[in-house]
Amino acid sequence: MSFDETTPPLLAIDGLHKSFGATKVLDDFNLTLHSGEMLSLLGPSGCGKTTLLRLIAGLEQADQGMISLDGSAVDGGRAWVRPEGRHVGMVFQDWALFPHLDVAGNVGYGVPRRQRAVEVTKTLELVNLPGMQSRTPDTLSGGQQQRVALARALAPKPTVLLLDEPFSNLDAALRRDVRTEVRELLRDAEMTAVFVTHDREEALVLGDRVAVMNAGRIVQTGTPAQIYQHPATPWAAAFVGAVSLYPAVAAGDVAEADFGPIPLLDSARGPVEVAVRPENVDLRAGDGEHVVDNYEYRGPDAMVTVASPTGVLLHARVSGMNSLALGDRVSPVYSGPPAAAFTRPEAGS
Amino acid sequence: MRSPNIRSPALLKLVAVVVTVGFAFPAGYLVWRNFTFSSDPLGVLFSQRTRGPLFRTLRLAVLVSASTAVLGTALAWLTTRCDIPLKRLWLVLLPLPLVFPTFIGAAALIRTLNPGGLLTDWLNNVGLNWDVEMRGLFGAWLALTLFTYPYVYLPVAARLRRLPGSAEETARLLGNGPLTIIGRVVLPQTATAISAGTLLVFLYAISDFGAVQLMRYDTLSRAIYTTRLNNQPVSLTLSVILLMLAAVVVLVERSATRRFEVAAPVRSRRPVVYRLGRAKPAAVAFLAAAVALSFVGPLASLGDWAVDGIKLDASGGRDLLVGWDDVWSPTWNTAFGSVVAAVVAVAAVLPAAYLVVRYRSRIGTVANAVIVSSFALPGILIGLALLFWTLKTDVGSHLRNTLVLLVFAYVVRFGGQTMRTSQVAVSAVSSRLTDAARTLGAGWLRRFRSLELPLMAPGLLAGGGLVMLSVMKELPITLLIAPFGFPTLTTKAFNSIEEAFVAEAGVWSGVLVVLSGVLTWLFVVRRADHFD
Repeated sequence: MSFDETTPPLLAIDGLHKSFGATKVLDDFNLTLHSGEMLSLLGPSGCGKTTLLRLIAGLEQADQGMISLDGSAVDGGRAWVRPEGRHVGMVFQDWALFPHLDVAGNVGYGVPRRQRAVEVTKTLELVNLPGMQSRTPDTLSGGQQQRVALARALAPKPTVLLLDEPFSNLDAALRRDVRTEVRELLRDAEMTAVFVTHDREEALVLGDRVAVMNAGRIVQTGTPAQIYQHPATPWAAAFVGAVSLYPAVAAGDVAEADFGPIPLLDSARGPVEVAVRPENVDLRAGDGEHVVDNYEYRGPDAMVTVASPTGVLLHARVSGMNSLALGDRVSPVYSGPPAAAFTRPEAGS
Repeated sequence: MRSPNIRSPALLKLVAVVVTVGFAFPAGYLVWRNFTFSSDPLGVLFSQRTRGPLFRTLRLAVLVSASTAVLGTALAWLTTRCDIPLKRLWLVLLPLPLVFPTFIGAAALIRTLNPGGLLTDWLNNVGLNWDVEMRGLFGAWLALTLFTYPYVYLPVAARLRRLPGSAEETARLLGNGPLTIIGRVVLPQTATAISAGTLLVFLYAISDFGAVQLMRYDTLSRAIYTTRLNNQPVSLTLSVILLMLAAVVVLVERSATRRFEVAAPVRSRRPVVYRLGRAKPAAVAFLAAAVALSFVGPLASLGDWAVDGIKLDASGGRDLLVGWDDVWSPTWNTAFGSVVAAVVAVAAVLPAAYLVVRYRSRIGTVANAVIVSSFALPGILIGLALLFWTLKTDVGSHLRNTLVLLVFAYVVRFGGQTMRTSQVAVSAVSSRLTDAARTLGAGWLRRFRSLELPLMAPGLLAGGGLVMLSVMKELPITLLIAPFGFPTLTTKAFNSIEEAFVAEAGVWSGVLVVLSGVLTWLFVVRRADHFD
């Protein structure tokens, strides 16, 4: 990506700890974000994503660690800047529009009075809601409310924009359109943004960079392609997309599975588990050692699970035209790019 | 997500503590004074002088509770669940007895139903012989029943209207008849509302002063009033007994609500309606009699007094002792006092409501308990405590005959009424909204002004309206500690009733009833989601 990694980061989080009572929510959390970058924070619910956003915004105070915005500390050590002084924009999961104010009142809330009218008009045009100033939130559709919430956060020109599951309240069809629109809009505005989501597709689409998070820590950060193709741990591999962790024996750049060779990203030796994505497996019908164990037809494609003679399961995504049936014998063939391999824990050295 | 370790602002806690101490002060002062100053408190406590009033208080309260429970529930059942004609009319009329302070209602009853009264004459003309005198236990019981049944009627009607019909329909499918269904399905589900309303009536009955005073029934509150000047030890001891009685009711109320607390069912389709069939004329007659006795009759007799007096004045008979100034000044005082008390009450209770709802603080819980319990404190006790305090202490003497003291007493008496509405109002402002405002750069003052206050306004107004209504009708506190130059409609009306200036009483009561009628309409009838 095109960010100048040599300039100091816009947002730096260093060794952050946060507990609620006995529950550790963030545990030695580190993250940096550069100007103009859009980061997706992907993790299962309850992993601390929302708490992290609230800490960045100043709605919570860290127990330990440091948060800096634009080079100066806002939380940690002796520093504490209240949320109202941080210039951090936030789009809430339920949008939190002020119900007693009209659209103009909502969007202009964070803008100084003198520039209010102008900024409201400009921002509403930016989010494709021109002329909606005098509507009240309860007369807007879900998608429109979402855009008003975005406009309200953008209007004061925040240093960083935080979005907490911004699309989860929209229905599936609308979600896809809105998220593309929002991505383009934020990119055009050269906004620095952090998206929090538990939807892996959303995370991959929206982020220049994706941080996968679990149990209060970052498991892996990287470009969407790196995250998908080169997962750092078996857990990350499974969380980012469907995967079979297939046993094989590595010998350098190739691992030998019972159905054939799999090219590896990093050379390894000895028994490994290879992260095999379903779309990288072809099934050849006819005689084979593997037996079709499950078949889910999904329209354009089908998800097939085959069992090896030793009972290991392998998922394959095949064309919907395929006419496999339960019990058919097939031979799987690996046909994708080099895959990630993890040392099998039980195999010793 | 609400974070549990959010700290509540120190200033808010400080204000809540001060307010709580204020609410607890009158009761605390009574107890303290009783056991430090009066001679032989225990002796008085168990003497004949105290046992009589205590017994009469309990007897009256039990009788009134029983009759209002039956009357209120029956009226609620007929108007919400039966195919009664003119349903909307009954729904409007039935809560209206609340507009009468009990002493005005009692006076009206005396004038209508005593030998020689309006209705008595009419009844005798029709050939019915009625010669029951309106006084003592019977008079007090009738007055309190007629003018407090709405406290049962309103919650029970609300509950009956919300009961999902599915349970009753299921019972019917299982073969139960209407009466069995009422007994086995409807009443058990309504029991909480009935008992809550009845408890309120019980409390009202033990603390009532106006009706028992006019009916000359010597309950604790009347005995406290009559002994306050010449026998203070007795007066104080009786006060402490009444205080303990009120405390018992509060404890019962607390444990009852805890035990019966049921999640409000999801609002369902319209409730099942029962056909009255041949009982319909009797049901209508019953409703009409209730409305006639508790609302139309008293209203008519007030009008009758006033008109009589004005006619007499105009025809050159006895001069009506009321000029425009005499109407205007108590009306203004009443309006002023109740508005100020309402505003102060809402403002005083709000910090505690914040602590409870937003911060779940322990101080908030204690403040909430003290403030809410003070609704049980009879007005006569607050008035007496503050009266003695201003008479006996140096600090208090500065506040003698001041509006500040009167407003303080009103707030302690009725402030608890705003606690629930204030809590609802505070919880209407989701923390998400204030969070959003903070990230947009708004400090606490701007958040309060632009966000919280507008969103809380309807709830706060509702609570304030209830306080206004109550203060307007308040008698014993006003009688005991209102400044000399501050006549209100209740004190004017009460004094002229006591001195048998009937025409004047009619004028002042009439104005008072109109004012409280407007407020009752706005804050009780309309809000009880009564019409749907």
